[in-house]
Parts: sequence; C-alpha cells; structure tokens
Amino acid sequence: MENDWASANLQTIRTLMERSALYRRALAPIMMVAGFIGLIACALARFAKIETNFAFALFWIATSVVAFVIVLFLVRRQSLQESEPFWSLPTRRVWGSLLPHFFVGLSAGALWLAPGLVPAGTNWLLPPIWMVLYGCGLYAAGFFMKRSIKFFGWSFILCGAALSFCVLSHPHFQSAAMANGMMGLLFGAFHLAFGIYLFFTERKKNEA
Amino acid sequence: MNPEPFLQIDRVIHEKGRMAIMSLLAASPELSFTEMRETLSMTDGNLTSHIRTLQEAGYVSIAKTYQNNRPLTTCSLTAAGRKAFVTYIDLLDQIVRQTKPLK
Repeated sequence: MENDWASANLQTIRTLMERSALYRRALAPIMMVAGFIGLIACALARFAKIETNFAFALFWIATSVVAFVIVLFLVRRQSLQESEPFWSLPTRRVWGSLLPHFFVGLSAGALWLAPGLVPAGTNWLLPPIWMVLYGCGLYAAGFFMKRSIKFFGWSFILCGAALSFCVLSHPHFQSAAMANGMMGLLFGAFHLAFGIYLFFTERKKNEA
Repeated sequence: MNPEPFLQIDRVIHEKGRMAIMSLLAASPELSFTEMRETLSMTDGNLTSHIRTLQEAGYVSIAKTYQNNRPLTTCSLTAAGRKAFVTYIDLLDQIVRQTKPLK
C-alpha cells in the first residue's frame, strides 16, 4: 500500500519536472505567420524572377531573417502578455537546439552567394538541403516542446530527402522557378497547414 | 520493515501542492508565478499560500522585479530547498524499494 503512494509521488515529480522544462508559448500564430511569409515570398520571387544563384540565396536568407525577427517579436509579445520572462530556460533550450542547424543552413546558403563556388543555375539544390537541416533543428527542439513538433520536424526531413532524390534524378525539378515553388510550398504551405492544425487542436484542448 | 524513512519524511514538502511546486522549481533555475499557476492549474490564493509555507521553511526564494513596467514575480529553490527535495526523493525511493514485493 505504502509502495503505491510513494511510487505515485515519484511519478508525479518526474512528470512535473519534465513539464517544467517544456516550451509553452502558443505555436499556432507563430507557424501561421511563418507560413504566410513563406507564401508571400514565393509569390514575390516568381514575380521578381529571382533566378540566379546569388539572388535566390540572398532572397531566401533575407526572407528567413525577416520571419525569424517577426517570430521573436511574437514570442516576446506572448511572454509580456502572460507576465512571464522572455528568455526562460525552455526558450533558451529551444533556440539552442535550432541554432546549429540554422547556422549550417546559413553557411550552405553562403556557398551559393559567393561567386564561382558552385556551378551557375544550381539553386534548386538548396531547398532540399535547407529542408533537411530545418527538419533536424525542429526535431532537436521538439525534445523541449510539444510532441507534434518532432513529427513536424520528421516531415521536413522526409520531404527534404524525397526532394533531394527528385531534383537529382528529374531534370524537370532543376530550375529556379521550381526551386522558388518548392520553398513556397514546403516552407510556406507546410507551416500554414501546421499552424491551422495547432490552432484548432490547441483551442479544443482549452475548451475541454 | 524499517520505519525510519517514513519518520524522516519532510512534512513541508510532503503535501500535494507543495510537492508539485518543488518539482517544477527543481527542474528550472527560476519560474514565474504565472508559469507555475498555469502549469499546476492552481488558484492565485492556493499557490501564494503554498509558496509562503515553502518560503518560511527556507526552501524557496522569491524575487519581485519589473519587465516592461509590469511586475514579475519569480520563484527559485534555495540551496536548502534543493537539498531537502533530494532527501525527500531519496526517502520515497527507499520506501518503494522496501515495500517492493520479493520475487
């Protein structure tokens, strides 16, 4: 009998300690905003004919920086509204998990920015590289977030891997227009869809 | 059965609400009042009362600061609180091992 309450208390302690380290900011608005930015950027890229290696890498790195700043602003606003510290331990852990992958992605992009380092007209290689790295970052951050983030990360990794196969094996995928389309569809639409999913599931949970 | 672990259990921590607060604080350097309230689904009064008990026992320290002109109350475990919590977990572990049926 005593064993039961002692075991139950230990289990409660374990669960609460794990929960204490979890990132709790609402992710639905963050994902939806990131999705909109991706889709708008895709439309802009097609309209402005972003085709050269340099223009493609610069345009999408700039887009990611804009998205990053807006997301930080949203996170800060949420923490202020809830009277919670912005740079909390879970926040530091999440950003710490994402940062190495973002850095490698940025470095990969820099290769396409530098003249003559990679053959011209090969910007279609960047979306799958960025996708796999972003997926790995999300998966790592998922250890300090909701379980669904890990699945979201995996979906990016799998899509990136499948896309790598497609772009290398089918010449149809080897164009700047396709590369812009891949960025818009996979970074824009994916985030938007996931944000909508979170919006409805988070609201359901709150209503329950 | 050795009754020693039962007798040594810290009555301040051995209460559902206070044990939950200590557990949250043990996994984080500091937590705001609102973070704890949301995570534990406690009322303001209940949480304040438990935190006061823990503070009086010297297990929790409270810091009142301002973030963008809004008051921010954060709590953290003191060294004594961390030690008491570790001891409490050790005792629970001993009880579980003592009462585990022999195979």
